[in-house]
Amino acid sequence: MKVPLQLSGLRLTYPGSATPTLDGLDLSVGAGSLTALLGPSGTGKTTLLKLIAGLLHPDAGDIRLGDRSLLPLPPERRKVVLVFQAALLFPHLTVAQNIGFGLRMQGLPTDVIARHTDAMLDRLHLTGLGARRPDALSGGQTQRVALARALILEPDLLLLDEPLSSLDPGLREAMRALIRSLQRELGVTTLVVTHDQAEAVALADSIALMQGGRIVQHATPEVIFARPATLAVARFFGGENVLPGQARGGVFESAIGRLPLPAGTADGPGSLTLRPEAVTLGPGADARAARVMECRFLGTQTRVELDLGGTRLVALVAPHLAGGLAVGQSVGVTLPPSALWFLRENPEAPPAVPE
Amino acid sequence: MRPYLMLAPLLFVLCGLFGAALGLTLMRSFRYLPAVGLTEPDLSAYTAILTAPGFLESVALSVWIAVGSALLSAALALATALALRQAFVGRGILTGLIQVGLAVPHVVGAVGILYLFSQSGAFARMAFQAGLIDGPGAFPALTNDPYAVGIMLLYVWKEMPFITLILLASLQRIGPDHEAAARSLGATPWQAFAHVLLPMLMPSLLAATALVFAFAFGAYEVPLLLGAHAPEAVAVLAWRSHTDVDLAARPEAMAMAVVIAVIAGGMLVALAQLLGKAGWGGR
Amino acid sequence: MKRDVLSALARLALALFLLMPLIPLAIWSVAHGWRFPALLPSELSLAAWSYALSPVSGVVGSLGLTFFIAAVTSVIATALAYPAGRALGRLRFPGRSVVLVLVLAPAVLPAIAVALGLQGLFLRMGWTGTIWGVVLAHLIPALPYPTLVLTAVFARFDPHHEDQARCLGARPLQVLLHVTLPAVLPGLRTGAVLAFLISWSQYLLTLSIGGGKVQTLPLLLFTFATSGRNDLTGAVAMIYVLPALAFMALLLRQRSKTAPLPNRTDR
Repeated sequence: MKVPLQLSGLRLTYPGSATPTLDGLDLSVGAGSLTALLGPSGTGKTTLLKLIAGLLHPDAGDIRLGDRSLLPLPPERRKVVLVFQAALLFPHLTVAQNIGFGLRMQGLPTDVIARHTDAMLDRLHLTGLGARRPDALSGGQTQRVALARALILEPDLLLLDEPLSSLDPGLREAMRALIRSLQRELGVTTLVVTHDQAEAVALADSIALMQGGRIVQHATPEVIFARPATLAVARFFGGENVLPGQARGGVFESAIGRLPLPAGTADGPGSLTLRPEAVTLGPGADARAARVMECRFLGTQTRVELDLGGTRLVALVAPHLAGGLAVGQSVGVTLPPSALWFLRENPEAPPAVPE
Repeated sequence: MRPYLMLAPLLFVLCGLFGAALGLTLMRSFRYLPAVGLTEPDLSAYTAILTAPGFLESVALSVWIAVGSALLSAALALATALALRQAFVGRGILTGLIQVGLAVPHVVGAVGILYLFSQSGAFARMAFQAGLIDGPGAFPALTNDPYAVGIMLLYVWKEMPFITLILLASLQRIGPDHEAAARSLGATPWQAFAHVLLPMLMPSLLAATALVFAFAFGAYEVPLLLGAHAPEAVAVLAWRSHTDVDLAARPEAMAMAVVIAVIAGGMLVALAQLLGKAGWGGR
Repeated sequence: MKRDVLSALARLALALFLLMPLIPLAIWSVAHGWRFPALLPSELSLAAWSYALSPVSGVVGSLGLTFFIAAVTSVIATALAYPAGRALGRLRFPGRSVVLVLVLAPAVLPAIAVALGLQGLFLRMGWTGTIWGVVLAHLIPALPYPTLVLTAVFARFDPHHEDQARCLGARPLQVLLHVTLPAVLPGLRTGAVLAFLISWSQYLLTLSIGGGKVQTLPLLLFTFATSGRNDLTGAVAMIYVLPALAFMALLLRQRSKTAPLPNRTDR
């Protein structure tokens, strides 16, 4: 059954802590969707998962799954399963016993548990490992057992805490694909915690970015990249180009000149952001003259730092387009109007070119 | 070669003292004493103690003391450790008291138990003042009694903190997350305890309980102070036979020491097997 | 509310239980005539204390002797345990589990199993009745504790720290003094304290090897306890436990000061 999750006004302050860990957090997760909860380490993402799972209690606010509030329910009656970052397989039980744990707690007959467990083992590519002890598993197998142990319960909501962080880069790709396909297949509403924006983008339908105990933006990855809600969000996703200035009559006035704004933008001070990969180099009708300050090959892209009339600008371009660039050389720069995004917020320090 | 060199000093002392002492005990228990011309080992000392009245009763008493003390201490320690895991006012003081208790020698505790539970002790006086008894003789014999209540009281008092400390260390190592994971997988608080926390605590609980068993089983000075005259705890009997004016009793004392060592050692082996079977051996 | 009261009572009961046997001993030590059925002594007196502390009783000398034997036993046991613990904790070699069983055995086997044979052995060597003989005997039950503690400590110690120190220019002795020893110091201290306490409380091995000539405090206390002088027994018991209690309390305070706060990864 697909069920939406609704968090409203969640507050939590740890005893002895001066600042709240969660400060009026709101979030809705659509039924059957996979949402990534993204934020820097120490922002309370795991705390939030524990609240939803019932392992902690909020000071205020509500957690609703479908049409019921979870708050009065103990963890075991929420139909919410939290898979911890450390996997936490029970060391005294075999792999099969670990996977069947939840069903055994419900008091199901042994043969039913065995049937479900076997199916789960096959589904997560763990066939034949049922009799093993958890300490005889590889990292990838451990994570898969932890996932199987949760999915066998057919929860209404699955909470995954950094499911890929303990895996090698090669294994991550495969695990990510497995989580995606299982989630689609089962349609279970899923919230994944991660601190890695690339992982969030690759994994999730939508990303909820958490900062300062709240969700600052919840949108699809495309929207978050192109239209960040705040400068902080823009920076977190690698948005390096921030120009301070003034909006006046549909035009943005800044140190590098006038730039067009979307229709209906009200006048006032603010900032313009532009993704580095949207900047194009070379001659063009709207090209402005800039000087190349640094050029660095990054593998799939080349990062070019430019001096545009005293303002620092970063461009990420395909390596073959930056092949002939040399430091100090002059180059044409085009800022496509469709990629410009206005924020009514001023950066702490304008990105001036260092002396 | 390196590990053996690093172990050499310890092994030299252990084998030279402990090994040699055990070996000598074993030889003498078989009446094998080349120095005085006894070169034909035999089992007569063993047959003598097994047929003589009193020895088996002593063994039974010591097993009773050891089992009772170990199980009572373990149950109380488990409850105490779980209670101490929660934060509350005075928790530090209680934990400190538990650790400090380790520094109190058995003899001191035993005398204290005697002054508390004997028929003229503190509790008998309270019972008299409360009008429950009309004289010292009416107070139930809890020390120097045939059921060894006083001895067990002492061991529970002394060893419960020991097991508690071991469990607290285990609890700290295990952390709260496995229980949380169990709750999230649908276990009730009781199920999370019974199916996850208790099995995870079991190795250290069993090991500590087995140690208490072995210790209480072979104890000497505590039953000497708190035990009844007959039957005596087996260690008391062995030492008395050893210091008997009749030198013929010496091999019998040695044989008793061997029986004690075998029972205590058997406990260790049984424990190792149990833990190995439960999948804890590989670590 | 009712639950709170109940659990507070349970804690109080536990605290009383932990202190239980020491209470009558403390009262007896200052009692002058305390007959059945009086709940408290009618008169207080320091006579038992002044006798116990006077040279006539030999209690103070015995305290010093007990301390000396325990300290020497603890130092030797810890010194032997250090390399052994390092080998057992860090290295994997054939026979390791046999050595572990051998190390554990003296802690599990009752003293009576060793005492008889050891007495025969020491009689032959002429070591009975000597302080050093008693120290050697105490080593047997004391050795397992520092060895097992240091084995666990070294199993957690990452030797890369030592390699790193060498790369930073430290000589082997400097590595030992500035890197390894500070890292294993808590374990070294715990092991030494445990070995000390084992010797400090030892009864049967002192009796069998000391042969009445080496009168440590537990032996003396036993003599007083069976002589029926409860006031003297109380005073001697107090003299016996108070230094150890003070020492443990000091150790605990120090540890709680240095213990790092538990940290949470992601809040």
